[in-house]
Amino acid sequence: MSAPLYQLKHIHQAYGGRRVLDVDYLEIEARTITGIIGPNGSGKSTLMRILAFVETPAGGHITFHGLPVGRVGLDARREVTLLSQEPYLLKRSVQANVSYGLRIRGVSHTGASVHQAMEQVGLDPSQFAHRSWRELSSGEAQRVALAARLVLQPKVLLLDEPTASVDRESSQLIQRAALNARNRWGTTLIVISHQLDWLRRVSDRILTMDYGRLVDEVAASSRLSDKPPS
Amino acid sequence: MDYILSGLVQAFELLFQGDPETFSAVKTTVLASSLSVAASMVIGAPLGFWLGYARFPGQRPIRVGVDTLLSLPTVVIGLLCYAFMTRRGPLGELGLLFTIPGMAAGQTILGLPIVVAMTATAVETLDYRLKQTLLTLGTDRRQLLLSTLWEARFALALAAAAAYGRIVSEVGISMMVGGNIKWHTRTITTAIALETGKGQFALGIALGLILMTIALLVNLTISGLKRVSGQ
Repeated sequence: MSAPLYQLKHIHQAYGGRRVLDVDYLEIEARTITGIIGPNGSGKSTLMRILAFVETPAGGHITFHGLPVGRVGLDARREVTLLSQEPYLLKRSVQANVSYGLRIRGVSHTGASVHQAMEQVGLDPSQFAHRSWRELSSGEAQRVALAARLVLQPKVLLLDEPTASVDRESSQLIQRAALNARNRWGTTLIVISHQLDWLRRVSDRILTMDYGRLVDEVAASSRLSDKPPS
Repeated sequence: MDYILSGLVQAFELLFQGDPETFSAVKTTVLASSLSVAASMVIGAPLGFWLGYARFPGQRPIRVGVDTLLSLPTVVIGLLCYAFMTRRGPLGELGLLFTIPGMAAGQTILGLPIVVAMTATAVETLDYRLKQTLLTLGTDRRQLLLSTLWEARFALALAAAAAYGRIVSEVGISMMVGGNIKWHTRTITTAIALETGKGQFALGIALGLILMTIALLVNLTISGLKRVSGQ
């Protein structure tokens, strides 16, 4: 039996002496969709940053593909990417933003992949590719940020309230693009969202957090998304 | 007043006639200052990144030290460089004294604290989400450094312009390390000092006009960059 994608044991995090995360045990299987809900300040985003390897917990043990996080190399880290609620766009054109991840991986011909990723999030490359980061609405910026992640065909996509500050159209496009990633490449999705209806429809299970702890777990039975490719 | 006015008229004549002595000093100034600004950027930008980005014990005293070096007198740098580059000094064998590379080395010491301090400030004030974004897109350490500096490129250009403004107008290092040798290491500022001492106001004023034009261009560059980076 293969190791779970993530395994967390006794993970805790504190800022300025205040404990913000305290997870006794959590396993996340590959190719699943995990929804996370909870009030503001309940530790959801901290958990996401730890899962994305951008933050190291104060204590506890995490494995990724069965390997302790300290031994996870750059290639494995590059399988995981995080999209936050208010993403940062690099001070470049839309095309340069979307192709950035590919170029740092040494991919030189990025044009077709970038256009494809932009289309996935509903951005017409002929209109948007050469636009400056300054010329985008918040919904467009969020979609550019998602395209910059999707172009990498990530094995794990962490979405931290990706639709919280965007219009309804952008919200639907983002949700659809995330599910497409899961259906096309078997991407594992971990999603924080206040849109409970959507989470119920798409998630394999929903975790509830409060005061930094996992307080509830529900297996969602009526998921509508397609099965991932085997 | 007459001698000032006639000096001004003669200065324009020297400039429009392409006086070789005047333009030799301009060429030396531009060469030495460009070399030193380039060296200050290559050495200072990574150091500034480290100072603004990393958290380590002793960071605050180092920052205070760098800020203090911003007001380092040029004659003190000139004195130190002279002591190191003179034949009896530890760098005497390199033959840097009274050469343009020697002057550029001294001027690099002058420009370095400006570049380090301004880069550190630029990196400290970058959007807190940048690091997370770069890490989640898969950067290694080198890519993280280069991409962060690229995001701060307007502020870095501002640091380069500020360093250039300080370097191009200094006298002490050029005089002591360069030696003010005609056709060789004489810069605009050392020539002004010399010609004024000799009562040759025309050449001094001509060089002063060029220096003020360079200073104006640097200031225009700085205000342009401030406008761009503020957007």
